[in-house]
Amino acid sequence: MDTKHTRIAICADSENPKDDVASRFARCEFYGVYNHKSLSFNFEENKAKNEMSGAGAKAAKQIYDLGVTAVLVPEIGPKAFEALEAFEIEVYRYSQTYSVRDAIYDYYEKKLQRVLASTKTGKHA
Amino acid sequence: MKIAILSGKGGTGKTTLSVNLFSCLKQGTLIDTDTEEPNSHIFIKPTNEVITNIYKNHPVVNKDLCSFCGKCGEYCNFNAIIPTKTKVLVFEDFCHDCGLCEMVCPNNAITYKTKVIGEVFSSHLENKSFHYGKLKIGEVSGVRVINKLNEISKEDGLVLVDCPPGVSCSTVEALRGSDYAIVCAEPTPFGVSDMTMVVELLREENIEFGVVVNKSGIGNNQIYEYLEEENIELLENIPWTKERAALYSTGNLIADKDPIFNEKMEHILQKVLGDNYDQ
Repeated sequence: MDTKHTRIAICADSENPKDDVASRFARCEFYGVYNHKSLSFNFEENKAKNEMSGAGAKAAKQIYDLGVTAVLVPEIGPKAFEALEAFEIEVYRYSQTYSVRDAIYDYYEKKLQRVLASTKTGKHA
Repeated sequence: MKIAILSGKGGTGKTTLSVNLFSCLKQGTLIDTDTEEPNSHIFIKPTNEVITNIYKNHPVVNKDLCSFCGKCGEYCNFNAIIPTKTKVLVFEDFCHDCGLCEMVCPNNAITYKTKVIGEVFSSHLENKSFHYGKLKIGEVSGVRVINKLNEISKEDGLVLVDCPPGVSCSTVEALRGSDYAIVCAEPTPFGVSDMTMVVELLREENIEFGVVVNKSGIGNNQIYEYLEEENIELLENIPWTKERAALYSTGNLIADKDPIFNEKMEHILQKVLGDNYDQ
């Protein structure tokens, strides 16, 4: 099992790990933070979700402040990716709709691909 | 007196109306504030244009002076500057050039860099002036360019404003200080839907307005029912004809070649300007 990251964030639209993962990174409702040491989930409201602009970079900052070093995303824009990279947060991508818990399992089974460049065009590019 | 011509939906005839109304005036100014896609100049055909650059500043961080205190990011309202673990990211597009990050930086690590974001083209012919703005490709907001157009025309007696479509910041800036607005709408469901947003905006800004239905004969009657329900003045109804579309598509002023259309333009000006309209 990969134990490099103590805290892993994942995009969620509810506060229940049994519910589906979110389909957007910067404008999802919550970030689920899985703590590898305590084996527990914590959900934090996404403070960037209603920003007019720059939600991606702001979300990256929030995730960093939560002590997270890896994040699981559905897709990622260029500015958000640049910010996550600068915060030295690793990005992994899920490409199906399943529960938050299942996505975390997939991460530990190394089924999620590491993202090394933004996966979509930004709104302002 | 400043009169704004706007529509909500694009392609309803704002420019057609603006340039043809302008052509009926003996004196006055026209500003084309659709900086993302200006096209009044295609019809006005200005000569001897004077070009003015429009600038915007954005912060640049000196890495050697930065202590990564994070203050710039805390104070920025637009997420334009994000201090991270390894560097301070600056997103120029989001920056509103407010100067706050430079002020709060305790290490004087932030300076401002200037860049050209657009141009204003000015021309004069006898008693008439025409100015239009053009945003550089890739720039996100034409507000500064429009602000310049407003500034250079503010002393002029009569100003017509060809507004951008929609009801975004650009349109609000173009409307600033208007005494009256002519809403140019087309009688289609989209035309009506987008016009209702403009009506809402004008009512909020307390600007008196009337509606010109352009391209009548297409679509349906929904627009007339709406105007009646909302008690909005119908200034003029301009039927769509193939000849008018052909004149427009070749960069001609319809009022020059179509007497009925010309009469309609004069009728609008009489209604809007009253005694101030000098034929």
